[in-house]
Amino acid sequence: MSPFFALLLVPMPAMGAFLLLGLGPAEFNRRAIQTIALAGATLPAVVMLPLGAYCLMGTCDGIQPIFDLEVGPAVVALALKLDPLSALVGVTVTIIGACVIGYSIDYMAKSEIADLRRYFALMNLFLASMLCMVLAGDSIIFFLGWELMGLCSFFLIAYHVTSARAIAAGRKAFVITRVADAFLLAALLLLFLEAGSVRLDDLIPAGIATDDVRRGLIAALLLAGAMGKSAQLPFHTWLPSAMAGPTPVSALLHSATMVAAGAYLLARLAPLMETVPLVMAVTATVGAATALFGATAAVFQLDVKRLLAYSSISQIGFMLLAIGLGQPEVAIAHFVVHAIFKSLLFLSAGDITQIARGTTDIAAMRGALRARPVAYLAFVAGAASLAGIPFVTGGWFSKEAILASAWLAGPFGIVLWGVALSAAVLTGAYAFRPVLVGLIPVKGARMTFGGVFTNLPILLLAAGTFAIAPLVTPMVEFLDATVPHPPLAVELVGAVAPFVGLALAFAMTFMPRISRRVAQARRMRSGIRIDGVYQIVFVQPFVALVRWLTGQRGSIADPVGTLPVMGAQWLVGAIVRPLAHDPLDRAWAGFASATVRAWGVARHVQSGRVRDYALAIAVGVALLLLLGWGTTWR
Amino acid sequence: MTPLFLTAALVLATGLFAVGLFGLMIRRGILFQIIALEIMLTGPALAFVAAGAHHGDPGGQGMFIFVLVLAASEVALGLALYLRLGRHADVSDSDTVNLLRR
Repeated sequence: MSPFFALLLVPMPAMGAFLLLGLGPAEFNRRAIQTIALAGATLPAVVMLPLGAYCLMGTCDGIQPIFDLEVGPAVVALALKLDPLSALVGVTVTIIGACVIGYSIDYMAKSEIADLRRYFALMNLFLASMLCMVLAGDSIIFFLGWELMGLCSFFLIAYHVTSARAIAAGRKAFVITRVADAFLLAALLLLFLEAGSVRLDDLIPAGIATDDVRRGLIAALLLAGAMGKSAQLPFHTWLPSAMAGPTPVSALLHSATMVAAGAYLLARLAPLMETVPLVMAVTATVGAATALFGATAAVFQLDVKRLLAYSSISQIGFMLLAIGLGQPEVAIAHFVVHAIFKSLLFLSAGDITQIARGTTDIAAMRGALRARPVAYLAFVAGAASLAGIPFVTGGWFSKEAILASAWLAGPFGIVLWGVALSAAVLTGAYAFRPVLVGLIPVKGARMTFGGVFTNLPILLLAAGTFAIAPLVTPMVEFLDATVPHPPLAVELVGAVAPFVGLALAFAMTFMPRISRRVAQARRMRSGIRIDGVYQIVFVQPFVALVRWLTGQRGSIADPVGTLPVMGAQWLVGAIVRPLAHDPLDRAWAGFASATVRAWGVARHVQSGRVRDYALAIAVGVALLLLLGWGTTWR
Repeated sequence: MTPLFLTAALVLATGLFAVGLFGLMIRRGILFQIIALEIMLTGPALAFVAAGAHHGDPGGQGMFIFVLVLAASEVALGLALYLRLGRHADVSDSDTVNLLRR
């Protein structure tokens, strides 16, 4: 095995996408579509797992060049990179991708054929772009994957093309991530200017070697790019709206791809980030603040998918916190754990709520234990990992490592630890709310089980949440780092946190007074209305501007196009028109007509009368005589 | 022949010419206009004779003979036209024959 096989990874799902959509005129039946999609999604996992094993056993530092483009003096050397980081994340992405797309086969079975093709093609492309970004050995490929992911997420969030809400949500996700992408592009271009190469292996040392100001600028731009993609404060608003897409889309988007990309970016460029302490501190602060904000907002959600969305915001906040504390390896471990339990949560919640006729209210979870036991128990496993139930779940180990990093990072770190701990408590609260609602029995519920394509991914992922628990420490060590260990008391406090959260969840579910308060807290549910503020500050003025520009407000439509035309018309009126019948022309024309008229007058001289001629001759001779006399006079 | 006499003769000649010209212009009858032309011709003829006498040159008298011949031929032509017009169109007014095509 060699990194050469990594070249297979990206094209496989992309090929699946091409077959599905590119062969548009060809008729595919449902089964063919599902087969192609499943092949495109699982084959990368088949290739990636041996690659990961190869990485585990042997030297794991491979660069696989693709081809070189010579652009003037610069050489754009496209390459894939297989190192512990990309191998670990790649394995996670391929497995989660295979699970989610496999799950989609049953979940989307009722869709139209055309919709199904579009859906699976986009999902495969989504997976391909994430793999492209993860395995990228140069900034071009990296950015290509990054942007493709943004595009696919736009299409997938707006999958229900007949729903205005879905399209608005897709547009919002696209615009907000696009704003952040601009920062990332700027950072990558600055790095390219420093290094003169696009290889990540050259960019990072060149970025470190440059002066403080530029390094700080690059690090800050990278952070801004990551924050946008990862839906961190203040860019978080697109993620809760993105729930308009189908549930498997959310499962993929929230766990292994898209939102995690920001964390991956920062982990990838961590050596560079770590040379700018200020940006690191900002990263940690943003991460902690987002973790707390997301957890708080999630507690007040009444919709399972929105709850999970805020949960993702919060969990990525934890990852950013770890990166800001100089522990990107811990962040990646949390990424892996989070990918497993978050996709599990989405898939099982999707399965439960699909039975409940499409509504995704938490109330739809009611009676889930009886009605849909497999999915419900899987959801419990996911929620346990999300909350971080000690010792058995992966979530506990990775979150504990993050909390430990914070504790050990000095006085400022202890503040962050406090924030992160309260976020962890709230995580327990919101994670168990749907679980407890599921315990409430419902009369007349029939027990049903999903098909194999529903249950197999869910069971795999549920097993994964527990199987990953003992692997958190080896993962961090695989990435050449050690898991930090705080004093025992601190660890115990961390272990108690999810149970406090569980107690809160109990109170919120079973005490009507509190649950009513939660149901009424609309301000908190809307994420302290940051979205509304953006609507007023950014969207409405922009819409007003566009309306004004299109002339809907009684103004001139399209001033950019119209004003030059109006100016030109004014010029014509003021300058060209008077000159068009210019005095010279008119003088000539007048001269011509005057000549005709004068000739008419002159013809009267020729009266034909003898007497007139005699007079004329006399006058003429007299004049000639006068002339002769005058000229000879002396 | 004194210069005074020459001057008087030239004034008389100019007067004759002016009277003839005047007559030519104000009279509309063709016959009268021919007569006015004759008077006009006498003016220069007199001036030739007076100038010849003043300079003692017979050329002046030669010119007088020439003018007489000119006047005779002119009168012959003029009267022929007059008769022709009178017979053919029954007009004696020169203004009415301003358009020859009629």
